[in-house]
Amino acid sequence: MKKYHLVRRPRQSLGRLLIYYLIGIVISLGIGAILLASLGINPFEYYGRMLTIGMIGNKYAYKNVEGFLKILVPLLITSLALGLSFKMRFWNIGGEGEFLIGAISAAIVAFNVTGLPRPLTIVLMCVAAMLSSGLLGLAVAFFKVKFNTNETLVTLMINYIMLYVITYLGKTKEDWNFFLDPKSARPIFGKFPETGIMTGIKIGNFNLLWSVIIAIALIVLIYVYLKYTKHGYEISVVGDSNATAKYAGMKVGKIIMRTMFISSALIGLAAGLTASSSGTISETITNNVGWTGIVVAWLSKLNTPAIAVTSVLIAILQFGCKTAATKYPSIDSNFADLLQGIILFSVLTADFCATFTIRKKEDAKND
Amino acid sequence: MEYAIELKGISKQFGTLFANKNVNLQLKKSEILALLGENGSGKTTLMNMLSGIYMPDSGSIFINGKKVSISSPEDSAKLGIGMVHQHFKLIERFSALDNIRIGLREDKSFLLKKDTKNEVMKMAEKFGFDIDPDKLVSNMSVSEKQTLEILKVLCYGAKIIILDEPTAVLTVQEIDKLFAVLRKMKEEGHSIIIITHKLNEVMAISDRVTVLRHGEYINTVNTAETDEKMLTELMVGRKVNLFIERPPIEKTKPLLEIRGLTVKNDEGAVAVDHLDFYIRGGEILGVAGIAGSGQKELCEAIAGLRPIVEGKMIHKGENIVGLSPKKILEKGISMSFIPEDRLGMGLAPSLSITDNMILKNYSEPKGPFIDRKSAREEAKKVIERLKVVTPSTETPVRKLSGGNVQKVLLGREIKSGPNVLITAYPVRGLDINSSYMIYNILNDEKKKDVGILFIGEDIDVMMALCDKIMVICHGKLQGVVNSNHTTKEEIGLMMTGALNLVDKGGKTAGIARDSGFADNEETNETEEAGL
Repeated sequence: MKKYHLVRRPRQSLGRLLIYYLIGIVISLGIGAILLASLGINPFEYYGRMLTIGMIGNKYAYKNVEGFLKILVPLLITSLALGLSFKMRFWNIGGEGEFLIGAISAAIVAFNVTGLPRPLTIVLMCVAAMLSSGLLGLAVAFFKVKFNTNETLVTLMINYIMLYVITYLGKTKEDWNFFLDPKSARPIFGKFPETGIMTGIKIGNFNLLWSVIIAIALIVLIYVYLKYTKHGYEISVVGDSNATAKYAGMKVGKIIMRTMFISSALIGLAAGLTASSSGTISETITNNVGWTGIVVAWLSKLNTPAIAVTSVLIAILQFGCKTAATKYPSIDSNFADLLQGIILFSVLTADFCATFTIRKKEDAKND
Repeated sequence: MEYAIELKGISKQFGTLFANKNVNLQLKKSEILALLGENGSGKTTLMNMLSGIYMPDSGSIFINGKKVSISSPEDSAKLGIGMVHQHFKLIERFSALDNIRIGLREDKSFLLKKDTKNEVMKMAEKFGFDIDPDKLVSNMSVSEKQTLEILKVLCYGAKIIILDEPTAVLTVQEIDKLFAVLRKMKEEGHSIIIITHKLNEVMAISDRVTVLRHGEYINTVNTAETDEKMLTELMVGRKVNLFIERPPIEKTKPLLEIRGLTVKNDEGAVAVDHLDFYIRGGEILGVAGIAGSGQKELCEAIAGLRPIVEGKMIHKGENIVGLSPKKILEKGISMSFIPEDRLGMGLAPSLSITDNMILKNYSEPKGPFIDRKSAREEAKKVIERLKVVTPSTETPVRKLSGGNVQKVLLGREIKSGPNVLITAYPVRGLDINSSYMIYNILNDEKKKDVGILFIGEDIDVMMALCDKIMVICHGKLQGVVNSNHTTKEEIGLMMTGALNLVDKGGKTAGIARDSGFADNEETNETEEAGL
């Protein structure tokens, strides 16, 4: 006879959720510590370097902040963008593909538009990136609206298509291929001309890239967009109940296409900014933000401020592991992926524990 | 005495809410027990614990005197319990026989198709079911689907049958047929629990009645020793006036006239077929018909949500065919449709009451932003006026109880001051108190000279509340009758298409004498048939 069963907790409290999250993270760091210790690495030292992204006792600490921000900005913008489509229950898992097409378009502009001032070139790069990604997203939405295609499958396939496109561009040494470095005999992606490389505001030695400022502005913009505008309202209604949206006289197809365009265009913007700040493109330019962004958006329960916070934490983890790994030859930055996986599992478990509880079944008293 | 089922001290908690609290219930062998209670009184939850969908938090279940633990529908079926749910669990693309075959267990699951068919047909014959085993479920009427559900649980060897609100979707004649089958099953030694909140049915079919209120066990009485009034008091906990008011109102000219309306359903079949009718201000026109007779399509057509194949719709002398839903709304025609799941249409369940208030007019304020401040004021007004029970205006609608959800929906529809109110199933699944509250709201609107189209399920209610009743069958008009001059049986016959009163006595129903149609001068016919 079954004595125990799971029941939903009477009340959801944010405090409990955060405490459970914390416990989950501590446990996963504990597991990571055991792994580190078994490799002969002092886990405290390692975590110390990781959490401070290697800034302590570092003469070039500002370099680390710059590096960290370069990881954070694309992840943050992509997560915000994905959150937008998820809110509408449109399962856009094509972040990678949308990012790549954006990066390629930005590179086309960077390599071919010369002679314009730098800010204008970079704006053009971003516009090209946004348009190409946006149109790709719009196409997916169009097929969804018109023929009810499965957006999860379509966006998933787009990831692979775009990955092969960029791989092709990067491996084909031909005269027409302006993406490649002409000086190199081996096919490698070339560096953008100076006008295509982003600068920033100099604060002492530290270089605050424009992309960071844009990302911060986007947090506020998207928060307001979702919460206070008619468009945001339409997105929540469509996501909540398609039938209700139609009944209210909303043009559901138009809303889906518009939102998907914006969502993809934002990912394109992230790609344009990333390409411009790194001055080149590559097959790995996405740093998997299309995937990690999905995780960030869901861990944050599609809440915009939470997405910002979670992106920062994940970026610390990724960049921190990378810098910490430089000191220990026995370990590389893949440890970040491992640790990220463990943390994700424990946080999801924590989420489950905060929602459900185990209850013991009692027999009738008057048996 | 050994009971077929005995429940002792069953409790089940969802969050802080007790769905069932220390409930006792005994089902004798070969009896029909009615489980009576208002909505949210825990009837379905209790039965779901018998069918293995939920597990009780505390308490014991005895089947034939033996203590058992039911932790899955599988366990429940093994104990000989079969439940016919309110929402059918059938595969639309399968035939009746295949729907039965997929659920057969163990030794029976290896039977050849024709052997199973034989067994099924034997079972059907034994209880007097009328069923075609090769018919696809998607081609079946609601009552056929229900027959199949019952036959299914019988084929799985159920000795104890639980029926969750089986009559909600049936016509009077179909209900009689169902009851005959139930009596037959009882004779064959089956024990039956029937969940319902229709008192006349309880009186007609049951041997005993167990009453629940707010999840608690109240009492069990012998049907022969009780009456509807007493049952209501047990159910509600106080005396209730069961009289539905129908205030007489001076009628105005036809507000909305529909002529020759033809609309197709999602599958492309004709759902509304050359329908003629009109609504005057200050009257409630009921629409009676078997579920799926084109009610939904009619509502959607009037609201501009569904393309019109043919026909005219004149509102205050203006053609509204082809207008956008928004334009139709602006003319003061408001439609509220309560679908079976009660949340699917008209409300966004995860959004707050405030946000749901502006669903239809969120785009009115200029600029890109929505006006949540006045929405909150409106939410407050609706909550106050219709006595919606809610912690705040910001509570998501899905967290409200059924009655309150419907009040929010209706409240929003009438707050904009419509002149035509189309309301489909507004009391669907509501308890007595909430239903009467809704009737009062509708009557208040009627007094304001609003023309109301009331699409309903319960003929008794329609005859009490509506001034006239229009009956449709397969989207065709069967006639318009005056509530004072008709009978339940007459309406029942019209619903099945057996009786057609459209041209009764040379008068054509559904066309107003003082019609606003310009081309209508020579047809100076009737007000309404049967007057």
